Amino acid sequence: MANPSVANAPTSPIEADRDATRRHRAALLLVLGIAIVLPFVPPFTGQDYQRWLVGAALLAAMAVAFDFTAGYINVVNFGFAAFVGLGGYTSGLLAVDLGVSPWIGIFVGAALAGFVGLLTGMLTLRLRGIYAAVMAWFVGLAVMGLVRNLPDITRGSLGLNVPLLLDTSDNLPYYYVILGMLVVTLVVLTVVIRSYIGLAFRAIGQNLQAARASGINPTRYLVLNFALSSAFAGWLGGFYAHYYGILTPDVMLTSRTVEVLAVAYIGGRGSLWGPAVIAFPLSIAVELLRTQFANLPGLYLVLYGLLLIVVMIYRPGGVAAAARSVDEWIARRRRPEPVETPRAT
Amino acid sequence: MTTATNLRTVPLVRRYLTFTWLVLGLAVLIMIVAAIAQPSIVVDTLVTGGMWALLAGGLALIFGVMNIPNFAHGELFLIGSLVGFTVFSPIQDAILENPDAALLKVVGPFPGMIAAALVGAAVGVGLEVLLFRPLRKRSRDQWVMNTFLLTAGVSVLLVNMDRLVIGNDFRGITRYWDVPPIRLLDVSISVDRAMVFIIALITIALFSLFLQRTRVGRAMRAVAQDEAGAQMAGIDLKRIFMLTIGLSSGLASLAGAALLFMFPSYPDVGLQPLYLAWYVVILAGLGNVQGAIAGAFIVSLLQTLTVFYVGVGWVDVLPTGFIILILLFKPSGLFGSAVKGIWEQ
Repeated sequence: MANPSVANAPTSPIEADRDATRRHRAALLLVLGIAIVLPFVPPFTGQDYQRWLVGAALLAAMAVAFDFTAGYINVVNFGFAAFVGLGGYTSGLLAVDLGVSPWIGIFVGAALAGFVGLLTGMLTLRLRGIYAAVMAWFVGLAVMGLVRNLPDITRGSLGLNVPLLLDTSDNLPYYYVILGMLVVTLVVLTVVIRSYIGLAFRAIGQNLQAARASGINPTRYLVLNFALSSAFAGWLGGFYAHYYGILTPDVMLTSRTVEVLAVAYIGGRGSLWGPAVIAFPLSIAVELLRTQFANLPGLYLVLYGLLLIVVMIYRPGGVAAAARSVDEWIARRRRPEPVETPRAT
Repeated sequence: MTTATNLRTVPLVRRYLTFTWLVLGLAVLIMIVAAIAQPSIVVDTLVTGGMWALLAGGLALIFGVMNIPNFAHGELFLIGSLVGFTVFSPIQDAILENPDAALLKVVGPFPGMIAAALVGAAVGVGLEVLLFRPLRKRSRDQWVMNTFLLTAGVSVLLVNMDRLVIGNDFRGITRYWDVPPIRLLDVSISVDRAMVFIIALITIALFSLFLQRTRVGRAMRAVAQDEAGAQMAGIDLKRIFMLTIGLSSGLASLAGAALLFMFPSYPDVGLQPLYLAWYVVILAGLGNVQGAIAGAFIVSLLQTLTVFYVGVGWVDVLPTGFIILILLFKPSGLFGSAVKGIWEQ
């Protein structure tokens, strides 16, 4: 059954490939367009909803940076929240103590988080798999302990008041800043993944021995990946600090890492865009739950836990894999049927 | 692993001057010095070390046999403390009403602990049937990382279910045995702590005997060494898995109930025991049960020294640094073998 109704349907595999690329680009631009106009669509015009949108975009960007490590080199950075906090505290302290503009501070924070990520990576990524994940967790716990125990510098659990990024407490400008940061994170990390470096990452993630046999130095690439992901974590942490205006050691809690991890895996490991897209509906739903059932603390985390369990057991590819199968279905529909040759009798 | 023939050829000095023995020797030396200078350090080390040994032994067992890096181990501690509290509260009331019932006073705390161990074991078996078995059926690709994330989801779920259903407050007791403390080595030890140490010792002894001397224990160790081989020898894997996770979970819950007077039950109570158990297991080498029991006392010594000489707040920072240092020299842990296991792939 040929499908002549489809205009400019692909005729060759290369055409089909280009068609797919066009389709994906259109879908992503559509999603980005929705994200841009969303704050003007009721009910998202309210300050509450806009604050949630900022939180959603921040979570999305963090999940992308997390997926860059977890989904490609297959190392789960269990100390992720500590790198976020490290960037936040660096930028915050620079602004408080030295009066450095937050716009510069967040990049310094990113650099420091990246550097600590580099050290942690060099230390732990010689170890593999679960050792690396657990060691990253320990490093995160140690960093959190340090922040908590140096109240002369960080004010410890009292919380550090940090100047805001913009001269306004209106949420809308912040939303566009973080949306921009999300796009930058997504684009930069996607470009890296598409390059030969990304090929090496995937090779290492799939089979370390085979990658090594093909002449890839695994440690170098693992450390590079880890440091880059940590740098983005620190950068986003800087935004966190200068948006909420207060920092406590609690930003580094393991449960924060698990939240980012859950979003990354529900969105789909190894896709980068999956976590970015799913973070929005997920975190808006979570915020609605949180306000509707304010008397039931922890309900939203029960939801995260359940979703993570279901995804891990039954849908390992997450939402991205589901989207991919829809995409394949569309591709099949658009592909012209092979011409049937009359069977010889 | 050094084989028997190698042992004979290696000179005596070289055989014992290994890194592992150095660290162990140092630990013993510190204990001896401490026993003279500050006997309370020795007491604290032994008492908490015994309980960490229960937790870490279970963690090492479940990792060794089932290759599950259990991130929800702390939540079994939580379940244990909750069950212990629920069972012990009415008994405590009864004791207060009849202050003369000596027998009740002596055996009163035990039903709670036994109930906790049983409930913990049941929850563990439930996790195996509901979660790990379906996952095992679906895919064993990247099993270690997947189960790690799966148990992270379980941990979030259980913690917040507790918060949701039971409530976000502390449920604790001041003491199990209402008798004056005993004096030993110039330190007064509360009877609770002494009893906890004795319970830990007896449990560890039974646990080791079970693993070393019984048929089922041997079968467990066989599965840990070679799953396929064990299956070919006629070992029922399903049964061994259920037994392993039940035993491991039961030990964690027993620790939770026994330490109720130190750790009152509340949703996040499991976090510290969890990462301490992980410190121990990483330090000792993943999957090594006997190593974990020895490692528990080393970690406990580190903790006690940190608390005593530096400050309570540093208890997360300094032991972590020490563990990272050890792993730099011995990446597979103090008692880990040089053979690369499945979990490092």
